Amino acid sequence: MVTDVGHAQRVIIGTRDEESSGGVLTEVGLVTWRSLVKLTRTPVLLFFSLFMPLIWLVMFSQTFGTVFSSATSGGLPGGPAATPLPYDYVAVLLPGITVMTAIQSASQSGFGMVADLESGFMDKFFVAPIRRSSVLAGKLLADGLRMAAQAGIILGIAAILTLFGWRIPFATGVMGAVLIMLLAAAFGVAAAAFGVAFSGLSNTVALRTKNTESTMMVSFSLTFPLLFLSTAMLPKALLPAWVQSFSTVNPVSYMADAARALILTGFDWAAIGNAFVAIAAFGIVLNGLAIMAFRAQGK
Amino acid sequence: MSAAVTLRPEAKKKAAMSRASKDSVIDVQHLVKVYGGRGQEEIKAVNDVSFSVGEGEFFGFLGPNGAGKTTVIRIITTLLAKTSGSVHVAGLDVERDGLDIRRMIGYTGQSIGVDGELTGRENLWLIGRLYHMPNSLVDERVEELLEVLQLKDAADRRAYTYSGGMRRRLDLGAGLVHHPRVLFLDEPTTGLDPQTRAAVWEYLRRLHREEKMTIFLTTQYMEEADQLCQRIAIIDLGKIVAEGSPAELKAAIGADIITVRITRDEAFEQSRNRALEIARTVSGVSRASIFDEGVSAYTADGGATLLEVLRRLDAEKVPVHQVALAHPTLDEVFLQHTGRQMRVEEVKPMSRSFGRRRR
Repeated sequence: MVTDVGHAQRVIIGTRDEESSGGVLTEVGLVTWRSLVKLTRTPVLLFFSLFMPLIWLVMFSQTFGTVFSSATSGGLPGGPAATPLPYDYVAVLLPGITVMTAIQSASQSGFGMVADLESGFMDKFFVAPIRRSSVLAGKLLADGLRMAAQAGIILGIAAILTLFGWRIPFATGVMGAVLIMLLAAAFGVAAAAFGVAFSGLSNTVALRTKNTESTMMVSFSLTFPLLFLSTAMLPKALLPAWVQSFSTVNPVSYMADAARALILTGFDWAAIGNAFVAIAAFGIVLNGLAIMAFRAQGK
Repeated sequence: MSAAVTLRPEAKKKAAMSRASKDSVIDVQHLVKVYGGRGQEEIKAVNDVSFSVGEGEFFGFLGPNGAGKTTVIRIITTLLAKTSGSVHVAGLDVERDGLDIRRMIGYTGQSIGVDGELTGRENLWLIGRLYHMPNSLVDERVEELLEVLQLKDAADRRAYTYSGGMRRRLDLGAGLVHHPRVLFLDEPTTGLDPQTRAAVWEYLRRLHREEKMTIFLTTQYMEEADQLCQRIAIIDLGKIVAEGSPAELKAAIGADIITVRITRDEAFEQSRNRALEIARTVSGVSRASIFDEGVSAYTADGGATLLEVLRRLDAEKVPVHQVALAHPTLDEVFLQHTGRQMRVEEVKPMSRSFGRRRR
């Protein structure tokens, strides 16, 4: 069946040498391609990861909207103007919902990782002559693209809601939306690295199976405290004192503050800078863990 | 397919400097793998295993579940770190030169690691590209493999719709896309129906014969090792207990085996013990033992000894139900070296995460 094995191998090896610079990009690209193809073929998964956040966006903003407007009828506590706010609660909540979506997708990414380890598919990547970091990078890149797209869809739907009289200022327009998508993706990737680190840490099948369940438990039990003990649901001024102090060490707050400023007031570069610094710090720690888990995988 | 073609210059130098013997492709010395530790109970999965496999050889690791077969194969394929000992593939060290080793080997694991959401063609294409094969060459090779593995008609269907045999063939194909010099197969036919198993065997024989591929296989099926492998190492509880060609291993325990099944009646136990005593006293019988249905006796000259055994049993009125004369199989080899019958776990369930993800 094989005509000239030697020739084939010469071609393969030759290509390898010529490709030595572009090799890593190819590797990362292939892993990303695989994740994205998988995603587009399970639209149900995509739908549900957007469905919940959208329900939240609509229901929460309705139920708590009146409470928010009466609490802020004289402006935000400590704020300058004693006039009613020119926007609805939904505009305050919107950044929080993009964070929530990113966290949810991050935990799904962790499950996907566990499934690949269990099915033996991950071995195909590990036994191929590619760097393990390429596998991790490719996977996280796919996650980032997905999270950016999801944030974009949520902002798009929010934009449609403004046509029905919901007051969302979108102070920075499309550019701001792109920045929010970027923030959501960056935050989500950092969280996904946590998912990978957590699910990849153990090396026996029994432990891994146990980890599928514990990954789920951990992601569920971490999502809500992270959201509610931050400025994602309400501006800092409206939070109780102890939550305020916790929110200053919660990376979610920085992400939410920057995104909220982009929607309500304008390009607050200090807040955006803080957000990226917080995400980077958070990301470096979690990605470090993920890389360690990947290196140790199977050892 | 020589080493000079598959190795890059610096790898070649490393190979030359290595202490590993030149003509062996796989060289394992005093390999030890301990799981656990750090507070957990330590399990010695591989306990001082040494062997080597020559270029173009079809080598088999035979042993029951939990014997350490998978651990050894995963260490050689760089998927698992060893505790101690040395492991070389084509003279390259598994710890130092993992990337170079991975470039020249193919691996098909125990669990079928194909992506159910990708089509058969995409699965193979992805693997080929991961080996840095150029697109045109990958396409050509994928078509070729789909043809040989008889997956052409299903090539554009997603793999989760495939039958177990089709998945296994696809998985095998994934290990072959890049024309590996050494192919590692971890229980390649476990869970397959007999027909598919025979087809896989036939294909492996062809690979070995026509492409001169070195193949390392693990199996818990005696028949598989016997049919395919030129040389076998029997592994049990992390140690190699016997090694040689199937014929050598079988010859080592005697030329023939006489099996006498005793009639099942009230006096069965008594008759069987009597039969054992008789068998032991017949000249020419080197060893005799009981099994659940009767007695088996090992002998160098089956024909003559069989007659004598029957004559004596008849004279003593031992009720004989059935008599058989057979050449030893690897089952007997395993039994002799471990003192245990090799249990084979039947068809394992598919990994539950295969195919469509359900969450």
